[in-house]
Amino acid sequence: MRKFAFALLLLFAVIFILTPVYLMVKISLSPPPEILREHPALGMEGVTFSHWQRILAAGQVWAPLRKSLTVAALSVVFSLLLGIPGAYALARLPFKWSSAILLFIFLSRMIPEVEIALPVSIGFIRAGLLDTDLGLTLAHTLRILPIVTWILVGSFRAIPRDLEDAAFVDGCGKVRSLLTIMVPLALPGIAVAAIFGFLGSWDEFTYAVYLAITEQTLPLVVYYYLNRASFFLASAYATIITIPVVIVTYCLQKYLKAEYLAGAVKG
Amino acid sequence: MLAPLLLYLLGFTLIPIASATILAFTDAGSGSFPSLASFAEILSHFQFREAVFNTLFITLVGLTLELMLGLGLALLLLERFRGRGLFRALMLLPLGIPTIVVASNMRYLFDTNGFLNEALYRLGVVRLPVDWLGGGLHTLFSLVVADMWKVTPLVMLILLAGLESVPREVLEAAQIDGASYGKRLCFILLPLLKPFITMALIIRGIDAFRIFELPLALTGRTVRVMATYSFFEYREYGNPYTSAAAAALLMAMILIAVAAYLRVVRHGEAVL
Repeated sequence: MRKFAFALLLLFAVIFILTPVYLMVKISLSPPPEILREHPALGMEGVTFSHWQRILAAGQVWAPLRKSLTVAALSVVFSLLLGIPGAYALARLPFKWSSAILLFIFLSRMIPEVEIALPVSIGFIRAGLLDTDLGLTLAHTLRILPIVTWILVGSFRAIPRDLEDAAFVDGCGKVRSLLTIMVPLALPGIAVAAIFGFLGSWDEFTYAVYLAITEQTLPLVVYYYLNRASFFLASAYATIITIPVVIVTYCLQKYLKAEYLAGAVKG
Repeated sequence: MLAPLLLYLLGFTLIPIASATILAFTDAGSGSFPSLASFAEILSHFQFREAVFNTLFITLVGLTLELMLGLGLALLLLERFRGRGLFRALMLLPLGIPTIVVASNMRYLFDTNGFLNEALYRLGVVRLPVDWLGGGLHTLFSLVVADMWKVTPLVMLILLAGLESVPREVLEAAQIDGASYGKRLCFILLPLLKPFITMALIIRGIDAFRIFELPLALTGRTVRVMATYSFFEYREYGNPYTSAAAAALLMAMILIAVAAYLRVVRHGEAVL
């Protein structure tokens, strides 16, 4: 009896999680009459690829994809350039100090994005940065820096100090030690930070809606179709954005730790 | 080497906050500063007062439900059963899905012709479709459910980390002494879980106050929260002053809530 109740709970949880995802895939593949009637079918009756074809034909894929990829890649580069030296310095500070600074960095999340995005978008209009890849990159860098730094500090802290001390004795400077000893040893951690940073930019919506007006990113296109109540196109589009992210997240599962995600998941 | 990082973070937060605050205290008509005109204006809008209520409702109800569901899932995952790895992977799925995609998925679920209504109709619960996103308390609940779907896995992960830090021997000893599951939960697990609950509440609480994409895409102008109110003031009505005033009030609410919460908790455990 206990076992049965336990299995039932598991089943409920799985249904709760899977239903919305199932609906997304189903709608992106369903012929319109199957959905747009008074009592839509719950299962999959017909399968059509026409929504996918329409999206590809409408030319609404490549430009946003380019923008999303460019901004995400640049944001990762920027945040690593700022984050690697910063995290190295933090990892060398006494634990109490570095934890306090990390907490402070983390608390920058208390500020609502609309509070930052509004003056930034007004400032960008004056500076000619509105609607540019660079402008959005600067905002996304702000969003992903805390998590990137957080992960990097963790991986630098894990490297034994003796290795570096030996290099210092041999006359190696701080910068050289960082580049030739610390960075190669921390490479797995840097890769994880880069991927989480990439996802953080890829998913980002709020800054994008303020700062990208004519050249949209992928999440903005989903919003565009939703606003026009084009269920089919929105769901096909949503599926396109989601597939790579789900695969990457799945592969990174063992890195999904509470403290990492605190900064990465929602924003 | 730390300087560029901190300068970037400070520059991109303090300068915008300063200029948003100046905007908020500037009179839209005459341009005089400081002035409370924008605050007076938004406070006279019933839509703004509604947005404040909606934000608080979503935060309070959402946090309570997420914490309960997250704890339930974490307790399930604490057991050893066949397929646990698969179950964990499935529960983490929402973390990989962009929030705007969640909004898109929830639209089909909550649409008048949507699948929730269809499921309820087939179960015989409703005869006529419910307008889930049209306004009112059930719309707020729909938003809470949409948000819960996305973030409960995060709460689950934090609480699971806490549960796994409790030594198994302690639980086994209590079990041998005859403590029931409920007693073990209330008197051993929950007290030890306190710092993790605090962390989950703060992280999630901050995010819940700032909720933006889901209400924007699901209910638009029908049901606003403070962040979407601020957005519409700027984008639809071209008024950066009232928009900044709403954003400033939202930030003040978050700061007060976090400070008040930390004050209450301080007496017990260390935080974070």
